[in-house]
Amino acid sequence: MPNRLELTGITKQFPGVLANDHVSFAVKPGEIHALLGENGAGKSTLVKMIYGIMQPDAGEIRWNGEPVVVANPKAARKLGIGMVFQHFSLFEALTVLENIALGMDAKIPSRELESRIREVMETYGLALDPHRTVATLSVGERQRIEIVRALLLNPQLLIMDEPTSVLTPQEVEQLFTVLRKLAAEGCSILYISHKLHEIKALCDTATILRGGKLVDTCDPKQETSRSMAEKMIGAGLKDIVKAEGRTFGPPKLVVNKLSTIKTGHFDVAVDNVSFTVRAGEILGVAGVAGNGQNALLDALSGELIGDDREAITIDGFGIGLMNTTERRRRGLCAVPEERNGHAAVGDFSLSDNSVLTARDRLGMVVLGLINSGAAKTYTGKVIADFAVKALGPASTAGSLSGGNLQKYIMGREILQKPTVLVVSQPTWGVDAGAAAAIHQALVDLAAAGSAIVVISQDLDELRALCDTLAVINMGRLSAARPVKEFSVEEIGLLMGGVHGSMETA
Amino acid sequence: MMRFRLEKRPEPSKLMLYGTPVAAVVLTMILGCLLFSAIGYNGLRAVQEIFFTPLTNPYKWQDLGIKAAPLIIIGTGLSVAYRANVWNIGAEGQYIIGALAATSIALLTWGMSGWWILPLMAIAGMLGGMAYASIPAFLKTRLNVNEILTSLMLTYASVQLIYYLIRGPWKDPMGIGFPQSRLFSEAARLPNIIPGTIVHLGVPIAVIVALIAWFVMSKTVFGYRMRVVGAAPHAARYGGFSENKTIWLAMLVSGGLAGLAGMLEVAGPFQRMVPGFPTNYGFTAIIVAFLGRLNPLGVIVAGVVLAITFVGGQVAQTTIGLPDEATGIFQAMMLFLLLAGDILVRYRIRRISPEASAGAA
Repeated sequence: MPNRLELTGITKQFPGVLANDHVSFAVKPGEIHALLGENGAGKSTLVKMIYGIMQPDAGEIRWNGEPVVVANPKAARKLGIGMVFQHFSLFEALTVLENIALGMDAKIPSRELESRIREVMETYGLALDPHRTVATLSVGERQRIEIVRALLLNPQLLIMDEPTSVLTPQEVEQLFTVLRKLAAEGCSILYISHKLHEIKALCDTATILRGGKLVDTCDPKQETSRSMAEKMIGAGLKDIVKAEGRTFGPPKLVVNKLSTIKTGHFDVAVDNVSFTVRAGEILGVAGVAGNGQNALLDALSGELIGDDREAITIDGFGIGLMNTTERRRRGLCAVPEERNGHAAVGDFSLSDNSVLTARDRLGMVVLGLINSGAAKTYTGKVIADFAVKALGPASTAGSLSGGNLQKYIMGREILQKPTVLVVSQPTWGVDAGAAAAIHQALVDLAAAGSAIVVISQDLDELRALCDTLAVINMGRLSAARPVKEFSVEEIGLLMGGVHGSMETA
Repeated sequence: MMRFRLEKRPEPSKLMLYGTPVAAVVLTMILGCLLFSAIGYNGLRAVQEIFFTPLTNPYKWQDLGIKAAPLIIIGTGLSVAYRANVWNIGAEGQYIIGALAATSIALLTWGMSGWWILPLMAIAGMLGGMAYASIPAFLKTRLNVNEILTSLMLTYASVQLIYYLIRGPWKDPMGIGFPQSRLFSEAARLPNIIPGTIVHLGVPIAVIVALIAWFVMSKTVFGYRMRVVGAAPHAARYGGFSENKTIWLAMLVSGGLAGLAGMLEVAGPFQRMVPGFPTNYGFTAIIVAFLGRLNPLGVIVAGVVLAITFVGGQVAQTTIGLPDEATGIFQAMMLFLLLAGDILVRYRIRRISPEASAGAA
C-alpha cells in the first residue's frame, strides 16, 4: 500500500531565511503523525505547502503514490486533504449551519447539508446544534465546527494545527477520541503541536523539525517528553529553578469586588472578582479563552477604569480610579495578550516601544522631551538580557517574529522591576527555550519580592509556574488555592463551568 | 497572461516612502500634459508654465513665498492631526474664523498704534481657529460624531459669517457700499521683511512654525502621543494616552495653526476683510500635508510645490489662456496619484510565475 502522503526534498526559501531545507517524510494511511518543532522551525510553511497555500521551491509531493502539484487549497480539498487551522474563520453572528455552508466549495441545499452534518456529528460523537449562533459557543465547540467542516469532505488526510491550545482537558480527551476513530477508519492525521505529552498519548510517529531541517523521525511512545523537547530545541532543557519552601510576604495586590462594564456585544465582563497576591507570590488565572481574561487584564492595567477607588489596591493604596500611566508609577505593569498593536506598535522601533511603557518609571522623559539615548540603552539591555533576536534597538517591532517580540515585551516590563506584574499568555507562541527563559525571569522577579498575576490558557504552564491558582469562567473567578491542591480534572471542571452545564442541559 | 500580486513587505520601504511623492509630482506633469493636449491646449506649454516658470522667473519667487506660507502653516497643523488619525478637513473654516478674530482686533484698535496689536491679533487668530476646531472635537469625543463631516460643514458656515460681518457690523463706512471692512491701520498690517517686495513676516514665521513642529513631533512626548495614537490606538491606550485627549489636542493644534495662517493672511496680503478672502488654502493644505508625508519638514517642500502650481496656474492663464480650474485639476491629480502610490510603501508588486498559476484547476 503506498504512503498516503510522501514529501521528498521539500525546500522553501523566503527572503533571508530558508524555511524548509530538503524535508522528507511520509505519512501512512490511518497514521496519526506528529509534526513537532519550535516556532520558526518551519512547520507552518511545510503544512501550507501541503495544503496548497504556498508552492515549494524544490522537492516533490506524492499523494497516494502519485506525484502531485497542489495549486491551491481548493485543489487540496479535492485531493482529500482537510485542514483545521489554529485560528478559526467563523462568523460569530451566523449559525453553525450557515458558517459551514459558507465554507463549502460546492453549493449544497441547506436541508441536505444539515442532514449530512448531523450524520458526521453522530458518527464521531461531535455534539453540536447546527442552529446555534457561533457567538454563544465555547471555543471547543467552535473547533468542532471546523472539524465537521473538514470531515464533510471525507478527507484522507486531516491536518490539525495546534488544536488543543484553546481546549479544556476534558475537551482535549473528546477531541482525541474523535481523531483516534478517524484514524481507525483509515484517515491519516498530521498533528502539529508543541505539547509533548499529548503527542505521546495520541501519535504513532513524530517528525521533528529544527531551523527548517528535519532532525528526527521517531516513535513518541519510545521517547520521553524531555528527549523530544531537547531534539526540538537542539540543546539541553532547563528546568524552572524555584527555591523550595518559599514564604510569601505581606499582601501587595488586593482586588476587592472588581467588576467591569461590558464594552462590546460579544465581550465578557469581569463580575465581582476578588483576590489577593502577596509579595513573592505568583497567582495563576486559568480559563478557556473568552471568559473575561481580557477584561480582567484591562481592568488591572488601567485601560478600563472602574468607579471604585478601593477595588484595586497596591500596598494598601487604592488605584482603582487611576489610568495606566499613574498605575505604572505606582508600580503596576501589565502585558496584554495581543502583542502587535496592543503591547507594542509594529511600525515603531523597539526603542520607541520602550518609551510606550517605561518612560516614567525609568526617567526617559525630562520636561516633556524624550531622552532617546536612555530609551536606546534600556532597549539594548532588554535585547541582551532576554536574548531577543533583533538587529538592535532601531529594528521595528513588526519585523520581529512573534516569539522574539514576546521576549522583548516581557523583558521590557520585567526589567522595570514592577511591584506588581500582570501578564496574559506570557509564552503564547514562544518556543520552548524562550518560554523557559521567560518563566525563569518571572520566578526571579517574584523571588525579589514582586507580586505576579499570570493569566494563561496553558495549564502546564500555570502548574509549573504558579504558587496559587484560580479559575475564571464567564467573568467570575473561583477562590484562589495553592496550585498543588488542584487536580487537572478539577481545574478542567471549573474551566468548563457554565459551558459544561449547558451541554448536559 | 502575466499576473501580478501585491505582496506585503517585511518592513515599510524607505525608498518608496520618499520616492512616491516625487513620482506623484512627475506623473502629474505627464498626465496633465496628455490631458490638456487632448482637450486642445498646448499640454507641454501648460506643464512648463505651471511647474517651471514660477521657478525660472525670479520675479515670481516672492509670489511663491507668500503663497507657500499659509499652506505650510496650515499643512503643518494638519500633519500633526493626521498623524493621530484625527481627520480635520475643515482647516479652511478655522482659517477663516482665525482671520475674522484677528480682524475684530484690528477693527477694535483701529486708529491706534503700538507693537502689541499684531501679537494680539495673532493670539486672537489662533484662539479663533481653536474655538472653531473645538466644535468637531466636542462632537467627536462626546457624541462620537465623525469629525470629517462636522469640520467640513462648518467651513461653509464660516464663509457665511464673513458675508454677514462685512455687509453689516464691519462694513467699511468709506467703502462706497462695497461689502468689505475698513483698511487696517498701519499697526495692524504685517511689515514687509524685504523692502521693495511683497514678502511679509508670515513667510519666515511659516518656516519657524514647521521647524518647531518637526522638533515637537520627533522629540517630545506630545509628538510621541500623536504618532502612537495614529499607528496603534489600542497600544496608545495601553501606553496611557487617552484617545479623547488626543483628539482634542490634535484639533486644537491644527485649528490654532489654521487660525494663525488666517491672521497672517488678512494682516498681510489683504489688509482688510473682503468677500474674496477664502481662497481654499485650508483645503489645499490637505494635499500639502500628505505630499509632505505628514512630516513638518516635508510640508515645507510640499507647500512650495503647491505654491508653484498656484503661481504657475496664474501664469498659464495669461500666457496660454488655460482656465483657472486647471490649477485645481493639477493639484487634485497630485493628491490622487500620491495616495494611489502609497500602497507601494508597504507592499510590492510581484509577478506570479506562470507555472504556479497553470496548476490551478
